[in-house]
Amino acid sequence: MLEIKDLHAGFEGTEILKGISLSINKGETHAIMGPNGSGKSTLAKILSGHPSYEVFSGEVIYEGKNLLDLSAEDRSLAGVFMGFQYPVEIPGVNNAEFLRMAYNARLVNEGKDELDPLDFDDILQEKMDLLGMENKYKERNCNDGFSGGEKKKNEILQMAILKPALSVLDETDSGLDIDALRVVANGVNKLNNENNALILITHYQRLLDYIKPDFVHVLSHGKIIKSGGKELAHELEAQGYDWLTTTN
Amino acid sequence: MSSTIAESSNGAESAVLDLHKKFIETNQPSPDFLALNRKALGQFAKLKFPHRKHEMYTFVNTKGLASAPFSLKKESSIQREFVEQHVYAGCERSHLTLVDGVLRPELSDATALGTAVMVGSLAEAIKDKSVKSLLQESIESENDVFASINSAFMTQGIMIRVGRDNQIEAPLQILNVSTGGESGPVMTVPRVYVHLEPLSELKLIVKYVGEGDNYFVNSVQDMVVEENATLTHIQVQADSIDAWHFSKNRVRLKRDSRYLGYQATNGARLVRHHNEGWLSEPGAELVLNGVSVLVDDEQSHQFIRVHHEVENCTSHQCFKNIINHRARASFDGTVVVNKGAQLTSSDQLINNLMLSDEGHADCKPNLMIFADDVKCAHGATVGQLDEGQLFYLRTRGLSEDVAKEILTQSFARSIIQEIPFAPVVEELNQTLLKKLEAN
Repeated sequence: MLEIKDLHAGFEGTEILKGISLSINKGETHAIMGPNGSGKSTLAKILSGHPSYEVFSGEVIYEGKNLLDLSAEDRSLAGVFMGFQYPVEIPGVNNAEFLRMAYNARLVNEGKDELDPLDFDDILQEKMDLLGMENKYKERNCNDGFSGGEKKKNEILQMAILKPALSVLDETDSGLDIDALRVVANGVNKLNNENNALILITHYQRLLDYIKPDFVHVLSHGKIIKSGGKELAHELEAQGYDWLTTTN
Repeated sequence: MSSTIAESSNGAESAVLDLHKKFIETNQPSPDFLALNRKALGQFAKLKFPHRKHEMYTFVNTKGLASAPFSLKKESSIQREFVEQHVYAGCERSHLTLVDGVLRPELSDATALGTAVMVGSLAEAIKDKSVKSLLQESIESENDVFASINSAFMTQGIMIRVGRDNQIEAPLQILNVSTGGESGPVMTVPRVYVHLEPLSELKLIVKYVGEGDNYFVNSVQDMVVEENATLTHIQVQADSIDAWHFSKNRVRLKRDSRYLGYQATNGARLVRHHNEGWLSEPGAELVLNGVSVLVDDEQSHQFIRVHHEVENCTSHQCFKNIINHRARASFDGTVVVNKGAQLTSSDQLINNLMLSDEGHADCKPNLMIFADDVKCAHGATVGQLDEGQLFYLRTRGLSEDVAKEILTQSFARSIIQEIPFAPVVEELNQTLLKKLEAN
């Protein structure tokens, strides 16, 4: 589904990712872990098409297409979802209306008719029930005045609405208390299936107690220095990152 | 008197004095009213048209306006359908129509207001000494030359008085229609005096529309809100595109009273709002919010003075401008907290969203605090759309153009949504926000 080949990329001319290669298939969950500054978020930004980040060399092939050629909106329409580390507040835009616009953008792209607010509400309600979310997520403006946990839950709601083939969740667990983490993780687990894939970018092993990855990759100084199964996460938890970074 | 004024005046001012002579001859105001007109003319001659460095007109170029050869409009005819089209839902039996500044009873209907509201002409109302002395005081202390022109040329005017402890259910609309000048620019001078007696409540919606071009609507509103009364005042400026629109609002707030002001500006050749409020007894509260959407060469300017004269009063101001093409907006707002006005709470926020490189926004938020136990805040921003918000929307599959439109509209909507009268909110969603789509 996704093939990253020797990706070199960065920000304002500085190389942060120094040769990343990764292969992700349908139905797989990959965790990317690493200390602060290792390049985890840069990878997420590159995959989502952030205009301030640049690719120096390498390729990213998604479903046979060059992902890097697509604009941020076209990546979304092609089925790539980015869960933000810091979701942006958009005052004055009702959250339900925002979700409907995003949903309709996808329908239009598929050559289908847009849904009116009433029809969309049925879909929204179903997803909110699935995730155990309260009505306030319909009534309030998008992320406006939301707590950290509410913002992350709202990201998962968007993921549920857009049903992406590939989701990249950037530090979705950061800043969450254990209750909020459980809600978010349960939501992700409910949305996961054999037809989609998930990249979890995280700093903390704790998230992986709730969402079981098939593969764990450790990122350090812009390179993947170790890959393994979920047991690798536990080693990291017990020993920290130092044993890996010093031996490399 | 007028000869001495004429001697000290230049061309633009003499033109006003000449116009005034004609005005007196044609209108022949009652002696009491004439005295007020003349007093105002004297004030006009003292103030003179503003030069470029005038502190009240720092950001507004009035040269073209002052030198335009205005005449006064006499008879104007207007179709009833035109009026009906601009009367808001809910105001069918509570609206007053002014055509070129003159109340037209045959186009008005105030039956829903009942006997609790007295609506009459100012010419009649000044027989009451308190009304006369307040008008006189306003005229003598007038600091804005264009408002003094209004007073010099005012004829009938409207007096609205809400009796003690009457909460008026029906919203009252004043519809100002300008018919424009066929053979040259015309000036109209709508004048409204609103007096809310203690414990009363009124929702007043004032809308300005043009049925023709080439006019200067120069309006003044005096408002007195007595103890524990509430005046909601919504203004919608929707004039013809080449109009000049000046309006001055003077609000005097007594103990525990509230003034809730909302201004929506569609823009025109030159729009200027001058708002001045006095919180003169403890517990008074003033809210003033505004939104403008300006395109092409439209201009809109805000000049605000809020005087916290005594302790325990509150004022909030929030203004948002969206500026596209070569449009200009300015904000010059001062909150004055007098020495004894302890425990004042005041905030002022101005946000300008610039959609083009040629647009222009000036901002001068100002605080003058002479008390030591107060909470005052002010802030101003001039900026473009937020890159982070744009990117966020794009990652949800919305194109860059759509994302920009959503963000621009949401900027204006945050003020529009606050307006406590649904028909105006709906209208602005159609007019102001549509203006953004077209551009």
